[in-house]
Amino acid sequence: MNNLILEVNDVAVSFGGVRAVNGATLDVEVGSVTSVIGPNGAGKTTLFNLISGAIRPDSGTILFEGLEIQNLFPHKIADRGIIRTFQGAKVIKRLSVLDNLMLGGQNNPGDSLVNFFNPKARKAYEVQCHDRAMELLQQIGLERFAHEYAGILSGGQRKLLDLARALMANPILLLLDEPFAGINPTLVEKLLEVLHALRTKHNLTFLLIEHNLETVMNISDRVIVMAEGRVIADGKPNSIYENQAVIDAYLGTRKAFK
Amino acid sequence: MTALMQPGFWVFILTMSGIYGIFTLGLQIQYGVGGILNFGHVGMMALSSYTMAILIISHGINFWIAAAIGVAVAALGGALLGLTTLRLRRDYFAIASIAFSEIVRYVIYNSDGLTGGVQGSLAIPVTGENYPSYTDTWDSIINRARDILTPIFGEIVDRDFVMAIIVWTTLGILLLIVSRVERTSWARVLRATREDDEVPAALGKNVFRFRFQAVIIGSVIGGIAGIFWGLQSSLLSPDDFLTLVTFYGWMILILAGATKVKGLPIAAIFFGFLYGGSRFFTFWPFSMLDASERAYVRIMIIGIVLIILMMSRPQGIFGKRQEMVLE
Amino acid sequence: MAEFVQLLFNGLVAGSIFGIAALGISLVYSVLRLVNFAAGDFLTLGAFTTFFLATSIHLPFIVAVLLSMLLGVVISLILEFLLWRKLRRTGAGLLALFLVATGVAFVLRQTISLIFGGNSQKFDIDQIKTFEFLGAQIAQAQLAVLCCASVAITFIALFIKKSTIGKNMRAYADNPSLASVSGINVDRVIIATWTISGAFGALAGVFQGTVQGQFTNGMGLDLFLSILAAVILGTIGDAYGALIGGFVLGVVMELSTWDALLGGIPSTYKPVVAFAVLVIVLLFKPEGIFGVKARKV
Repeated sequence: MNNLILEVNDVAVSFGGVRAVNGATLDVEVGSVTSVIGPNGAGKTTLFNLISGAIRPDSGTILFEGLEIQNLFPHKIADRGIIRTFQGAKVIKRLSVLDNLMLGGQNNPGDSLVNFFNPKARKAYEVQCHDRAMELLQQIGLERFAHEYAGILSGGQRKLLDLARALMANPILLLLDEPFAGINPTLVEKLLEVLHALRTKHNLTFLLIEHNLETVMNISDRVIVMAEGRVIADGKPNSIYENQAVIDAYLGTRKAFK
Repeated sequence: MTALMQPGFWVFILTMSGIYGIFTLGLQIQYGVGGILNFGHVGMMALSSYTMAILIISHGINFWIAAAIGVAVAALGGALLGLTTLRLRRDYFAIASIAFSEIVRYVIYNSDGLTGGVQGSLAIPVTGENYPSYTDTWDSIINRARDILTPIFGEIVDRDFVMAIIVWTTLGILLLIVSRVERTSWARVLRATREDDEVPAALGKNVFRFRFQAVIIGSVIGGIAGIFWGLQSSLLSPDDFLTLVTFYGWMILILAGATKVKGLPIAAIFFGFLYGGSRFFTFWPFSMLDASERAYVRIMIIGIVLIILMMSRPQGIFGKRQEMVLE
Repeated sequence: MAEFVQLLFNGLVAGSIFGIAALGISLVYSVLRLVNFAAGDFLTLGAFTTFFLATSIHLPFIVAVLLSMLLGVVISLILEFLLWRKLRRTGAGLLALFLVATGVAFVLRQTISLIFGGNSQKFDIDQIKTFEFLGAQIAQAQLAVLCCASVAITFIALFIKKSTIGKNMRAYADNPSLASVSGINVDRVIIATWTISGAFGALAGVFQGTVQGQFTNGMGLDLFLSILAAVILGTIGDAYGALIGGFVLGVVMELSTWDALLGGIPSTYKPVVAFAVLVIVLLFKPEGIFGVKARKV
């Protein structure tokens, strides 16, 4: 019927009386790169938490591939193919870099205790998962850290690891929370390269959060602007420049366009 | 000091250590892997040993079946604890788990008809002044094992000796199984949940399931320790299952370094010596104290060791410093 | 009716003691992020030192109580300088704090046991004197405890609300880093916290000893879990919540034994009731009665 992979309809949630997301409505097309931008406190990360199931909306619906997901547990949503990264990149510090990646393996028979008695199935999967993880580590250039604790990685390296781990989980829709913030430009290039390769190879759909419009201008098919928990503008990157509501939301500082 | 020269004393220490070692292994998989702060572990031990004793004495059930049901009830206790409180914050869970074991103890204490209450194990007078025994089958097993072992080890073989061998064999097997389990991807997920809920959940892992399973496995192991406890003491009392005992387990776990199983046996023996050995502290200044006062000192020493350990070497004797630093 | 009044009165007395003790624990948690597992034994300490000073050395009872409170403060502060400060600086985790607090509890309890032995003691107070009120027998000692406890509670509540140091305590509890940079003297806040917790822990112990009549070295420990239930019920870290949680639990625990309520439960199960209430509340409101749903960022 349509090619919308994600539909967020009039979703609202509040914490202790403060409306963090206040009737947000948006959608994402299959195979697109959509960016959500907005000033701090606009509700961007809360929106991600809602989509990934980390919090439940007070009202409204979220549809993924046409099915409601707003009341599912986070792991069920991940099972459906929505995988997220975290603002500032979350790694499991006391697991090795390799183990962090292998954590992303889906339908791992070894995750079930019953299969403790089925070592063959477990080991076969582990080998396969290990190889895949090493391959990804090479791609992001972290293979020399494979057996180190992830806690020793730098901020930028953690972002790469977080992204690679999300890819391990075979996502259909990838939610990236400020993937470029605080990373040096060469690393941003690298990230963009990885993302571009993915997009062409696996036909992934991306939903990104960014603080600045500038960063996502060139890679986004579409930009959604949020402010005070609502969507205030939605369109092609170029059209956002002229939108008066957007300029107002940024308090006329034009910070987003610098 | 002569007591320390007796082989019997060392065998006793070894048996106690082995039982505490098994008990602590249950905590290890919960905390060392899953970061779950279970302070009610002793409740599982109470459930299994009392269940076994009651089934044998009051219902005449076969020892093996009774022991198996005892362990199953401990697992059930773990399930109950997990279902009601495992979703809470870590510190709330810790407190709720203490409450769990205390409630178990209160119920045992106050259900005279079922458990013998404060009098101790099922002290329902049957005939004369004999306590009804639940260890008959076990005693005959021990005797048979003794007949087999005496030609090998000589005169040293007594009830405690056989018990020590059985307990340590069990601990060895359980250590082997648990260390295998801890190399599976199941344990990898559990290890991740120790640090963070959101990451594993965002990767499709049902965090609650992993934690719940860890609590159940830990409870089963605690239940096995309870069976041995019951068989070793042959007279149960609710006072055997004070929260204090859980903290003994925690002390062993921290000594051993919580994240690795390999240090556990040595830490257990160290504790066993501290615990059992201190009753032989008959030299000055302890010679000024009577037996009950020495018992106070013993727990005090354990408290001091716990404090010094956490202040100076929280990663334990065998633990890695780095794992603690990265916390 | 008479029984109801009796139980309600008993509940209020128990609740006032829970409330004071719970307040200390909650305050320490809010400022220091520490669940003080030794808090129960500070109650025991208060009861036993008062007993010693009043009965063996024959000091006036009120002087004995004040000196006991002072001892509670001194020991709390020694522990602060010896242990807690260092643990805070090294950024010790939840487990380290739990286990050190437990170690402290062991040492404290066994020291009391060594000095006073395992026998039960009692204050030189007439427990028998009662008067009738709405058909219930009200013991004068209990009424005195309820009155004194109410005064103490009002005092602490006003102190936290009105005094500069009390305001600083609340500010620090809300946001430690912000409070530190905005010029609040953190050391003074922490010392004040331990002072309140130590002094009123000991006082609660004296109250409990008075109400119980006889007490042993396990008194504080027996009470500790119920107090902790009150703390969590009122949302841990919320001082006023702890007071209310204490009263609620005290009354519920006493009323649970009322015959008219489905025959009532045996009074030995009162601590079980405390935790049943707690678990039920937590199941529906995991952040405690007064807690606010945490914001996930």
